[in-house]
Amino acid sequence: MKLQLKRLLSQILIFFSANLGAFGFKTGFCYPFFYCNSCPAATSACPLRAIEQSVYQGSLKWRLLLFPILILGFFGVTSGRAICGWACPIGLLQRGTGKIARRLKKYPSIKKLGQHQIEHYLRYMKYFVLIGLVILSTTLLGFMFTDICPIGILTGTIPTLILYPGKFVPSSFFWAAIAIFILFLVLIFTVEQGWCRYFCPIGAILAPFNKISILHVARVDEETFQKECLHCNACSDICPMGIDVPNMNRSTECISCGKCIDVCPKNLIKFERG
Amino acid sequence: MKKILAIQISALIIVSGSLGGMLVFTGIYEEVHSGIVSVLCLSCLKLDPKTKTDFTFETADGEPHPDFVLENLTKGVVFLHYSEDACPGCDIMYPIIQDLFNITFGKKDTIHEIISFEDSDVAYFYTNVDHTSEEIKNSLPTYDKEHISGLPMFAIITLGYDKGIIRPYYTTIYGTLGLDSDEDRFAFLTELMQDSIDIYNQNSEGYNPS
Repeated sequence: MKLQLKRLLSQILIFFSANLGAFGFKTGFCYPFFYCNSCPAATSACPLRAIEQSVYQGSLKWRLLLFPILILGFFGVTSGRAICGWACPIGLLQRGTGKIARRLKKYPSIKKLGQHQIEHYLRYMKYFVLIGLVILSTTLLGFMFTDICPIGILTGTIPTLILYPGKFVPSSFFWAAIAIFILFLVLIFTVEQGWCRYFCPIGAILAPFNKISILHVARVDEETFQKECLHCNACSDICPMGIDVPNMNRSTECISCGKCIDVCPKNLIKFERG
Repeated sequence: MKKILAIQISALIIVSGSLGGMLVFTGIYEEVHSGIVSVLCLSCLKLDPKTKTDFTFETADGEPHPDFVLENLTKGVVFLHYSEDACPGCDIMYPIIQDLFNITFGKKDTIHEIISFEDSDVAYFYTNVDHTSEEIKNSLPTYDKEHISGLPMFAIITLGYDKGIIRPYYTTIYGTLGLDSDEDRFAFLTELMQDSIDIYNQNSEGYNPS
């Protein structure tokens, strides 16, 4: 079976397993990806919600802080950010919207924007979101990222409004969250994997694990690579995370989607263990 | 190569060992299950349930009313206030309730007091589900009239006349009540309490908790 088909099946299966709460199956685990526990069908807790609850207004519940980090750490050590590419429902959504984003990249202005030097620095925004909006603002101000989270709107608020029409009214957080959700939609339709690249705080937790993960995307040995690489740049062109693949060494941005492996005409890129 | 392998093995042992240890030796699984997955913070949902003040005799889960409610109904209207630690909606409602009943307490306290509201006794229970007893925590689904499982939640239990018997008669409201200002919330709760006390006074004579 082709790699991208396997990945699609994995994403779909995990999406359904994340929603088994619809059949009454609820667990005490945290998801190792981004999904809102306020979704009517959610089986598990959002890791960000657990982290926020652990540090809310200066309290420190160390168990609640460690638990999601250890769950993410386990997947991070074994496969780095592969969770983003193979499991996360938001990754699946962006796989669809990415096709539109890729088409839009043909327009010179959008292409230019994508190549702007600020793009590189924007990738650090996800660490700011994690530390600033998930941890510091929750600790110091009692303001939680999950109250304005666009993923919460998509996977929690909208399904609730559809399933229970007329039962709910917007709360004070609703309109701010909707505004951010609209920006989120603009982002994912204009930049391939835009949320994963720039803003995902769970991606920010997983990203450093790429440096030590057991499973990762790598080039074949240096000598063969230098000798056989055609410098066609097909790997970098196809990369949804916009990584310079030939010069990549355990990039914190890599979501192990395997598109570069598929596209390399000389099979110089592979999944590697160890 | 050997260095990275050593780091990977060490990291895997530390992470899996700590995770396994937490699951086996601490109550974290239950804490996440009951504190995050089963009970929602309504601010996370960014929605408030539409406020419906209609009273009912039937408990939401079909279970009988808990003993502590039945006992306290001899003294006056029972007001159950459910909250949790990390909940902006709870933080909005917390001072309003304190003003309403002229009472002060800490957010993590469990409070049961008979207080005077406009010259009538009210049995007030403040319950932070992260810190309370199982008995009070278990009463949450009983009064979750709209099957929301969300916090903050307020149940007001009075007495009503039902087919020749005086029985507990309650309503439940949620979140920030779907209202925009603290003044509106205060006025709404005051009126609801007044109505509940009026109904209580009409029926309390015939009430027998057993």
